[in-house]
Amino acid sequence: MIQTPNPSVNGLADKMKITDMDIFYGSFQAIKHADMNVPEKRVMALIGPSGCGKSTFLRALNRMHDLTPGARVTGSVTLDGHDIYAPHVDPVTVRHRIGMVFQRPNPFPKSIYENVVYGPKIHGEKNRKKLDAICEQSLRAAALWDEVKDRLNRSALDLSGGQQQRLCIARVLAVEPEVILMDEPASALDPIATSKIEDLIGELKKDYTVVIVTHSMQQAARISDFTTFFLLGELIEVGTTSDIFTRPKDKRTEDYITGRYG
Amino acid sequence: MATPAQPALRSSGNASARRQFDRIATVLLWSAALFIVALLALFIGYLFYLGWSAISWHFLTGLPSEMEAGGGVGPQIYNSFYILFLTLAMTVPIALAAGIYVQEYAATGRFRDAVQFSAESLATVPSIVMGLFGLLVFVQTLHMGFSALAGAFTLTLLNLPALMRVSQEALAGVPNTYREASMGLGATKWQTIVRAVLPSAIGPMITGIVLISGRIFGETAALIYTAGTSVAYGKAAFSFNPMRPAETLAVHLWYAHTEALIPDVTKIGNGSALVLLIMVLIFNVVARVVGRQLSLRLTGKGT
Repeated sequence: MIQTPNPSVNGLADKMKITDMDIFYGSFQAIKHADMNVPEKRVMALIGPSGCGKSTFLRALNRMHDLTPGARVTGSVTLDGHDIYAPHVDPVTVRHRIGMVFQRPNPFPKSIYENVVYGPKIHGEKNRKKLDAICEQSLRAAALWDEVKDRLNRSALDLSGGQQQRLCIARVLAVEPEVILMDEPASALDPIATSKIEDLIGELKKDYTVVIVTHSMQQAARISDFTTFFLLGELIEVGTTSDIFTRPKDKRTEDYITGRYG
Repeated sequence: MATPAQPALRSSGNASARRQFDRIATVLLWSAALFIVALLALFIGYLFYLGWSAISWHFLTGLPSEMEAGGGVGPQIYNSFYILFLTLAMTVPIALAAGIYVQEYAATGRFRDAVQFSAESLATVPSIVMGLFGLLVFVQTLHMGFSALAGAFTLTLLNLPALMRVSQEALAGVPNTYREASMGLGATKWQTIVRAVLPSAIGPMITGIVLISGRIFGETAALIYTAGTSVAYGKAAFSFNPMRPAETLAVHLWYAHTEALIPDVTKIGNGSALVLLIMVLIFNVVARVVGRQLSLRLTGKGT
């Protein structure tokens, strides 16, 4: 019933490949037989009504479900052709290469500086000069540097929600991942902060592959190159964003796009 | 505009009765709170009234006497702190490690339940029972004699369950988002606990340690048969040697009143009680200030 996983459109290389993925919470099946390819250095949006499993699916892409007791993922997820669920693979390495930005900004209760260099430090970087450089570079890339450069030692919790979320993005960039997963990163933010995050995502795809869950179809249309539609745990349709929004192949996608589901 | 709202604003039949009841409840609750504060103030005031005249430099630093009047409590004050230090040095690391295991590693399971059950059972053991256990095991079987070390071991057993509970609660209070963020950045579980979770748990931990320290300061029953009711002679009374008898201030308070032959027992008792109270108060304040500073520093608010 699933059409061919989005054919590698325009000859783009696939960064990640998800094949026949099932996700269970105990006996409840949250995701059913999902297949999807994630093109490199593009933005892939995951849309669908609340509870459709899009966040659950996203969290399987860097093995965050390992931390949830009772969650089970089957099928295969590859990064550059290597299965990240293979037995010898260290989930810590996977999360190093595939970073995640969460729905609510979740900076550590530490200084701005310490938040950004948290990742490099746990991966063994001790040289203060290098850490300083990484900090500036990451904050610049997250479009936050100019706002915080004079108060790097202040608590991250003093920042506004939008700034905190860009800090969390900077914190992910600091570990130099290849893929960035974002779980509704702007849903807790006001419109201005949201548009800053969206501009930032546009910049990020030059260097990173981005997969973003969003509940806003306008947002998906604005920022993504590809869109995937989920419904009740099923991956209904994958395609270029313009195809999904203008020429959906599946009736259910069309119903959702035109506003017939919540 | 306001017309439709009018009927709703008029008080219904029993409104004044309800308002009356509301006032009475407020007064009652307020009185209960005031009662507690007043009780403490009265208690402190009374102790000052009785004990203040006993306090002198000689009393605070001098050696106690067995037979004559005019003994001091210097060694006892020192011992109280010394045993507290020994006890915390053993209790805190073990309690923290156990708390981390139960909260962060053990999912639900038999072993976790067993740990919880043991801790809760241990917490209900009366301190006199623990004291007799210490007498049998540490003082006699392990040949420690009446000593600061035997006392500290006994107090460790006595306070371990409560402090484990404290560290467990402190860890449970750390938002899960910190753990997710840290793991999401490629940290191992251990790195996550040490760098993201513990710094945020330090505040409640300090509070718990302070409360338990207060208990250790005031503990008597567990110490009478373990640390003993006497102090070493002369300078040895102030040594770091953990194998010497080490009567604490709280034990001295009990001992002076029940066993000692000194004529000025009331004065010594009142003075000891006052000093004990002041020590606990000062310790609480200092520990809280230090704890807050530490917490601010670790969570980036201090700089």
